Amino acid sequence: MATEGWGKQGTWEETENFLGKVIGVSVGADAVELGSIRKWLEAKEFYAPIHSDEKAAVEAGFKDIVAPHTMAFTYGLPAYFTPEKPLEKMGDTPRQIPVPVIFDVPAPCKLSFATSIDIEFYEDMYVGDKITCTHKLIDITHKTLSVGEGAFLTQEDTYVNQKSDKVARVLLVIFRFNPPVNE
Amino acid sequence: MTDWNKNISTDQIKVGDKLPDISIPITLQRLVMEAGANYDLSLFHHDKEVAITVGAPDAFANSFFNMGMYERLLREWAGPNARLKKIGSLKMIKFNGVGDTVTFEGVVSKIEENIVTVDLISRTSPTNITTTAFGIVQLNEVEGS
Repeated sequence: MATEGWGKQGTWEETENFLGKVIGVSVGADAVELGSIRKWLEAKEFYAPIHSDEKAAVEAGFKDIVAPHTMAFTYGLPAYFTPEKPLEKMGDTPRQIPVPVIFDVPAPCKLSFATSIDIEFYEDMYVGDKITCTHKLIDITHKTLSVGEGAFLTQEDTYVNQKSDKVARVLLVIFRFNPPVNE
Repeated sequence: MTDWNKNISTDQIKVGDKLPDISIPITLQRLVMEAGANYDLSLFHHDKEVAITVGAPDAFANSFFNMGMYERLLREWAGPNARLKKIGSLKMIKFNGVGDTVTFEGVVSKIEENIVTVDLISRTSPTNITTTAFGIVQLNEVEGS
Protein backbone atom coordinates (compact mmCIF):
# COMPACT_ATOMS: atom_id res chain seq x y z
CA MET A 1 0.00 0.00 0.00
CA ALA A 2 2.83 2.40 -0.94
CA THR A 3 2.46 5.71 -2.69
CA GLU A 4 4.97 6.86 -5.29
CA GLY A 5 5.74 10.11 -7.02
CA TRP A 6 4.99 12.58 -4.24
CA GLY A 7 6.89 13.56 -1.13
CA LYS A 8 9.50 16.21 -0.58
CA GLN A 9 13.02 15.09 -1.46
CA GLY A 10 16.18 15.83 0.56
CA THR A 11 18.94 14.26 2.64
CA TRP A 12 18.55 12.46 5.96
CA GLU A 13 20.40 15.39 7.55
CA GLU A 14 17.65 17.67 6.31
CA THR A 15 15.05 15.25 7.71
CA GLU A 16 16.76 15.34 11.12
CA ASN A 17 16.58 19.15 11.13
CA PHE A 18 12.80 18.87 11.41
CA LEU A 19 12.82 16.54 14.43
CA GLY A 20 10.94 17.99 17.38
CA LYS A 21 9.65 20.89 15.33
CA VAL A 22 6.21 22.00 14.24
CA ILE A 23 6.04 21.21 10.52
CA GLY A 24 2.67 22.70 9.74
CA VAL A 25 -0.57 24.12 11.05
CA SER A 26 -3.84 23.25 9.31
CA VAL A 27 -6.89 25.42 9.80
CA GLY A 28 -10.01 23.37 9.21
CA ALA A 29 -11.94 24.51 6.16
CA ASP A 30 -15.37 24.30 7.76
CA ALA A 31 -16.82 24.66 11.23
CA VAL A 32 -18.71 21.73 12.72
CA GLU A 33 -22.25 21.78 11.32
CA LEU A 34 -25.21 19.45 11.00
CA GLY A 35 -25.07 18.98 7.22
CA SER A 36 -21.49 17.73 7.18
CA ILE A 37 -22.20 15.41 10.11
CA ARG A 38 -25.21 13.95 8.28
CA LYS A 39 -23.26 13.33 5.09
CA TRP A 40 -20.37 11.74 7.00
CA LEU A 41 -22.80 9.40 8.80
CA GLU A 42 -24.73 8.62 5.61
CA ALA A 43 -21.72 7.19 3.77
CA LYS A 44 -21.27 4.71 6.62
CA GLU A 45 -24.99 3.93 7.12
CA PHE A 46 -24.37 5.13 10.67
CA TYR A 47 -27.36 6.37 12.64
CA ALA A 48 -27.03 7.43 16.27
CA PRO A 49 -29.50 10.00 17.68
CA ILE A 50 -26.78 11.86 19.64
CA HIS A 51 -25.48 13.10 16.26
CA SER A 52 -28.80 14.56 15.08
CA ASP A 53 -31.23 14.96 17.98
CA GLU A 54 -30.59 17.54 20.70
CA LYS A 55 -32.81 15.81 23.27
CA ALA A 56 -31.12 12.45 22.76
CA ALA A 57 -27.68 14.04 22.99
CA VAL A 58 -28.49 15.90 26.22
CA GLU A 59 -30.02 12.77 27.74
CA ALA A 60 -26.76 10.97 26.98
CA GLY A 61 -24.80 13.63 28.87
CA PHE A 62 -23.61 15.79 25.97
CA LYS A 63 -24.13 19.57 25.93
CA ASP A 64 -25.88 19.47 22.55
CA ILE A 65 -25.84 17.50 19.30
CA VAL A 66 -22.31 16.14 19.18
CA ALA A 67 -20.14 15.34 16.15
CA PRO A 68 -18.71 11.82 15.82
CA HIS A 69 -15.33 11.69 17.56
CA THR A 70 -13.40 10.52 14.49
CA MET A 71 -14.70 13.47 12.46
CA ALA A 72 -11.82 15.41 14.06
CA PHE A 73 -9.74 14.25 11.07
CA THR A 74 -12.20 15.89 8.67
CA TYR A 75 -12.77 19.11 10.58
CA GLY A 76 -9.00 19.61 10.83
CA LEU A 77 -8.41 19.48 7.07
CA PRO A 78 -7.66 22.75 5.28
CA ALA A 79 -9.42 23.88 2.12
CA TYR A 80 -8.16 22.44 -1.16
CA PHE A 81 -8.83 25.70 -3.00
CA THR A 82 -8.53 29.22 -1.59
CA PRO A 83 -8.28 32.64 -3.23
CA GLU A 84 -4.61 32.78 -2.17
CA LYS A 85 -3.65 29.57 -4.02
CA PRO A 86 -3.22 29.45 -7.80
CA LEU A 87 -6.33 28.26 -9.58
CA GLU A 88 -6.18 24.70 -10.85
CA LYS A 89 -5.39 24.28 -14.54
CA MET A 90 -6.10 21.30 -16.76
CA GLY A 91 -3.18 18.88 -16.47
CA ASP A 92 -2.12 19.94 -12.98
CA THR A 93 -1.23 17.16 -10.57
CA PRO A 94 -4.34 16.41 -8.50
CA ARG A 95 -4.14 17.66 -4.94
CA GLN A 96 -3.61 15.02 -2.28
CA ILE A 97 -4.65 15.04 1.33
CA PRO A 98 -1.95 17.12 3.07
CA VAL A 99 0.33 14.89 5.16
CA PRO A 100 3.15 17.13 6.44
CA VAL A 101 5.66 14.32 7.11
CA ILE A 102 5.46 13.53 3.39
CA PHE A 103 4.93 16.91 1.80
CA ASP A 104 6.90 19.23 4.07
CA VAL A 105 9.69 17.10 5.52
CA PRO A 106 12.44 16.28 3.01
CA ALA A 107 13.79 12.72 2.89
CA PRO A 108 15.84 10.77 0.35
CA CYS A 109 12.95 8.42 -0.42
CA LYS A 110 10.68 7.79 -3.37
CA LEU A 111 7.94 5.76 -1.69
CA SER A 112 5.88 5.89 1.46
CA PHE A 113 3.03 4.21 3.27
CA ALA A 114 1.21 4.75 6.56
CA THR A 115 1.95 1.98 9.03
CA SER A 116 -0.14 2.99 12.04
CA ILE A 117 -2.61 5.62 13.23
CA ASP A 118 -3.65 6.31 16.83
CA ILE A 119 -6.28 8.82 17.84
CA GLU A 120 -7.15 9.85 21.40
CA PHE A 121 -10.23 11.94 22.12
CA TYR A 122 -10.62 14.79 24.61
CA GLU A 123 -13.19 17.60 24.26
CA ASP A 124 -16.34 16.85 22.28
CA MET A 125 -17.02 18.76 19.05
CA TYR A 126 -20.24 20.76 18.80
CA VAL A 127 -21.93 22.78 16.06
CA GLY A 128 -19.96 25.96 15.43
CA ASP A 129 -16.61 24.63 16.68
CA LYS A 130 -13.63 25.50 14.47
CA ILE A 131 -10.79 22.97 14.52
CA THR A 132 -7.11 23.71 13.99
CA CYS A 133 -4.44 21.02 13.78
CA THR A 134 -0.74 21.47 14.62
CA HIS A 135 1.61 18.89 13.08
CA LYS A 136 4.92 18.06 14.73
CA LEU A 137 7.63 15.54 13.76
CA ILE A 138 8.42 13.66 16.98
CA ASP A 139 10.41 10.59 15.92
CA ILE A 140 12.62 9.25 13.15
CA THR A 141 13.61 5.57 13.31
CA HIS A 142 15.74 4.20 10.48
CA LYS A 143 14.87 0.67 9.45
CA THR A 144 15.28 -1.80 6.61
CA LEU A 145 12.13 -3.75 5.78
CA SER A 146 11.40 -6.25 3.03
CA VAL A 147 10.08 -3.42 0.86
CA GLY A 148 13.29 -1.42 1.16
CA GLU A 149 15.48 0.81 3.29
CA GLY A 150 14.11 3.94 4.91
CA ALA A 151 12.75 5.36 8.13
CA PHE A 152 9.59 5.49 10.19
CA LEU A 153 8.58 9.12 10.66
CA THR A 154 6.09 9.82 13.44
CA GLN A 155 3.86 12.86 13.09
CA GLU A 156 2.00 14.09 16.16
CA ASP A 157 -1.17 15.99 15.26
CA THR A 158 -2.85 18.03 17.97
CA TYR A 159 -6.41 19.12 17.21
CA VAL A 160 -7.84 22.04 19.17
CA ASN A 161 -11.07 24.01 19.00
CA GLN A 162 -11.48 27.80 18.82
CA LYS A 163 -11.03 27.99 22.61
CA SER A 164 -7.70 26.13 22.35
CA ASP A 165 -9.21 23.12 24.14
CA LYS A 166 -7.63 19.88 22.92
CA VAL A 167 -10.10 17.82 20.90
CA ALA A 168 -7.86 14.98 19.74
CA ARG A 169 -4.25 13.83 19.53
CA VAL A 170 -3.17 11.69 16.61
CA LEU A 171 0.05 9.78 16.08
CA LEU A 172 0.60 8.96 12.43
CA VAL A 173 3.53 6.74 11.52
CA ILE A 174 4.70 6.87 7.89
CA PHE A 175 7.44 4.62 6.48
CA ARG A 176 9.37 6.48 3.79
CA PHE A 177 11.74 4.28 1.84
CA ASN A 178 13.46 3.27 -1.38
CA PRO A 179 13.01 -0.21 -2.82
CA PRO A 180 16.13 -2.39 -3.15
CA VAL A 181 18.29 -1.34 -6.13
CA ASN A 182 18.26 -4.80 -7.73
CA GLU A 183 14.46 -4.80 -8.05
CA MET B 1 -31.78 -2.37 14.42
CA THR B 2 -29.94 -0.72 17.31
CA ASP B 3 -31.94 0.07 20.43
CA TRP B 4 -30.69 3.56 21.32
CA ASN B 5 -32.47 3.49 24.69
CA LYS B 6 -29.97 0.91 25.96
CA ASN B 7 -26.45 1.36 27.27
CA ILE B 8 -23.99 -1.44 27.96
CA SER B 9 -22.81 -1.64 31.58
CA THR B 10 -19.80 -3.48 32.95
CA ASP B 11 -21.94 -6.02 34.76
CA GLN B 12 -23.34 -7.12 31.38
CA ILE B 13 -19.99 -7.86 29.72
CA LYS B 14 -16.90 -10.01 30.17
CA VAL B 15 -13.56 -10.42 28.43
CA GLY B 16 -14.04 -12.43 25.25
CA ASP B 17 -17.50 -11.07 24.45
CA LYS B 18 -18.03 -10.42 20.77
CA LEU B 19 -19.63 -7.19 19.56
CA PRO B 20 -22.39 -7.47 16.93
CA ASP B 21 -20.62 -7.38 13.54
CA ILE B 22 -21.30 -4.73 10.92
CA SER B 23 -20.99 -5.69 7.24
CA ILE B 24 -20.96 -3.00 4.57
CA PRO B 25 -20.49 -3.26 0.81
CA ILE B 26 -17.79 -1.05 -0.68
CA THR B 27 -19.23 0.40 -3.86
CA LEU B 28 -17.77 3.20 -5.94
CA GLN B 29 -20.78 5.33 -5.05
CA ARG B 30 -20.09 4.83 -1.34
CA LEU B 31 -16.43 5.78 -1.81
CA VAL B 32 -17.42 8.95 -3.67
CA MET B 33 -19.91 9.83 -0.91
CA GLU B 34 -17.23 9.08 1.68
CA ALA B 35 -14.57 11.19 -0.03
CA GLY B 36 -16.93 14.15 -0.25
CA ALA B 37 -17.99 13.71 3.37
CA ASN B 38 -14.63 13.07 5.01
CA TYR B 39 -12.74 15.51 2.74
CA ASP B 40 -9.86 13.16 1.84
CA LEU B 41 -10.00 13.77 -1.91
CA SER B 42 -6.88 11.74 -2.80
CA LEU B 43 -7.56 9.95 -6.06
CA PHE B 44 -6.75 6.44 -4.76
CA HIS B 45 -10.09 6.50 -3.00
CA HIS B 46 -12.31 7.00 -6.04
CA ASP B 47 -10.21 6.48 -9.19
CA LYS B 48 -9.42 2.91 -10.25
CA GLU B 49 -6.51 3.85 -12.54
CA VAL B 50 -4.74 5.72 -9.77
CA ALA B 51 -5.50 3.00 -7.21
CA ILE B 52 -3.89 0.40 -9.49
CA THR B 53 -0.62 2.39 -9.46
CA VAL B 54 -0.26 1.67 -5.74
CA GLY B 55 -1.05 -2.03 -6.05
CA ALA B 56 -4.78 -1.99 -5.36
CA PRO B 57 -7.18 -3.78 -7.72
CA ASP B 58 -9.62 -0.84 -7.59
CA ALA B 59 -10.40 2.32 -5.63
CA PHE B 60 -10.20 1.66 -1.90
CA ALA B 61 -11.52 3.09 1.38
CA ASN B 62 -9.28 5.43 3.34
CA SER B 63 -8.24 5.41 6.97
CA PHE B 64 -10.94 7.97 7.89
CA PHE B 65 -13.63 5.54 6.69
CA ASN B 66 -12.09 2.65 8.61
CA MET B 67 -11.83 4.80 11.76
CA GLY B 68 -15.43 5.94 11.33
CA MET B 69 -16.70 2.39 10.88
CA TYR B 70 -14.92 1.33 14.06
CA GLU B 71 -16.57 4.28 15.83
CA ARG B 72 -19.94 3.08 14.51
CA LEU B 73 -19.24 -0.48 15.73
CA LEU B 74 -18.30 0.74 19.21
CA ARG B 75 -21.14 3.28 19.45
CA GLU B 76 -23.86 0.82 18.38
CA TRP B 77 -22.59 -1.69 20.93
CA ALA B 78 -21.90 0.61 23.88
CA GLY B 79 -24.86 2.96 23.52
CA PRO B 80 -25.34 6.72 23.57
CA ASN B 81 -23.92 7.34 27.06
CA ALA B 82 -20.51 5.84 26.27
CA ARG B 83 -17.51 8.03 25.55
CA LEU B 84 -14.97 6.89 23.00
CA LYS B 85 -11.49 7.57 24.41
CA LYS B 86 -9.17 6.13 21.79
CA ILE B 87 -8.84 4.12 18.62
CA GLY B 88 -5.30 2.85 18.67
CA SER B 89 -2.79 1.29 16.38
CA LEU B 90 -4.96 1.22 13.26
CA LYS B 91 -3.00 -0.86 10.76
CA MET B 92 -4.11 -1.05 7.16
CA ILE B 93 -2.95 -4.49 6.09
CA LYS B 94 -4.89 -4.91 2.86
CA PHE B 95 -7.26 -2.78 0.81
CA ASN B 96 -10.99 -2.45 1.52
CA GLY B 97 -11.79 -1.91 -2.14
CA VAL B 98 -14.66 -1.63 -4.59
CA GLY B 99 -16.48 -4.97 -4.80
CA ASP B 100 -15.56 -6.03 -1.26
CA THR B 101 -18.07 -6.51 1.50
CA VAL B 102 -16.20 -5.56 4.63
CA THR B 103 -17.14 -6.87 8.05
CA PHE B 104 -16.08 -4.86 11.10
CA GLU B 105 -15.74 -6.91 14.27
CA GLY B 106 -14.78 -6.40 17.91
CA VAL B 107 -13.97 -8.55 20.95
CA VAL B 108 -13.78 -7.27 24.54
CA SER B 109 -10.18 -7.75 25.65
CA LYS B 110 -9.91 -5.83 28.92
CA ILE B 111 -12.23 -4.32 31.54
CA GLU B 112 -10.87 -1.95 34.18
CA GLU B 113 -13.62 -0.35 36.26
CA ASN B 114 -15.72 1.36 33.55
CA ILE B 115 -12.96 1.52 30.92
CA VAL B 116 -13.27 -1.23 28.30
CA THR B 117 -10.75 -2.17 25.63
CA VAL B 118 -12.05 -3.83 22.47
CA ASP B 119 -9.82 -5.55 19.91
CA LEU B 120 -10.96 -4.60 16.42
CA ILE B 121 -10.56 -6.16 12.99
CA SER B 122 -12.09 -5.77 9.56
CA ARG B 123 -12.13 -8.54 6.99
CA THR B 124 -13.44 -9.23 3.51
CA SER B 125 -13.55 -13.02 3.98
CA PRO B 126 -12.95 -15.37 6.92
CA THR B 127 -9.22 -15.42 6.15
CA ASN B 128 -8.66 -11.99 4.61
CA ILE B 129 -8.09 -9.48 7.43
CA THR B 130 -7.79 -5.96 6.05
CA THR B 131 -7.32 -3.76 9.14
CA THR B 132 -6.65 -4.20 12.85
CA ALA B 133 -6.91 -1.75 15.75
CA PHE B 134 -8.18 -1.47 19.30
CA GLY B 135 -10.76 0.83 20.83
CA ILE B 136 -11.03 2.18 24.36
CA VAL B 137 -14.50 3.11 25.56
CA GLN B 138 -15.62 4.65 28.82
CA LEU B 139 -18.97 3.28 29.87
CA ASN B 140 -21.00 5.91 31.71
CA GLU B 141 -23.51 4.07 33.78
CA VAL B 142 -26.14 6.67 34.53
CA GLU B 143 -29.20 5.95 36.60
CA GLY B 144 -32.03 4.45 34.62
CA SER B 145 -29.93 3.52 31.60
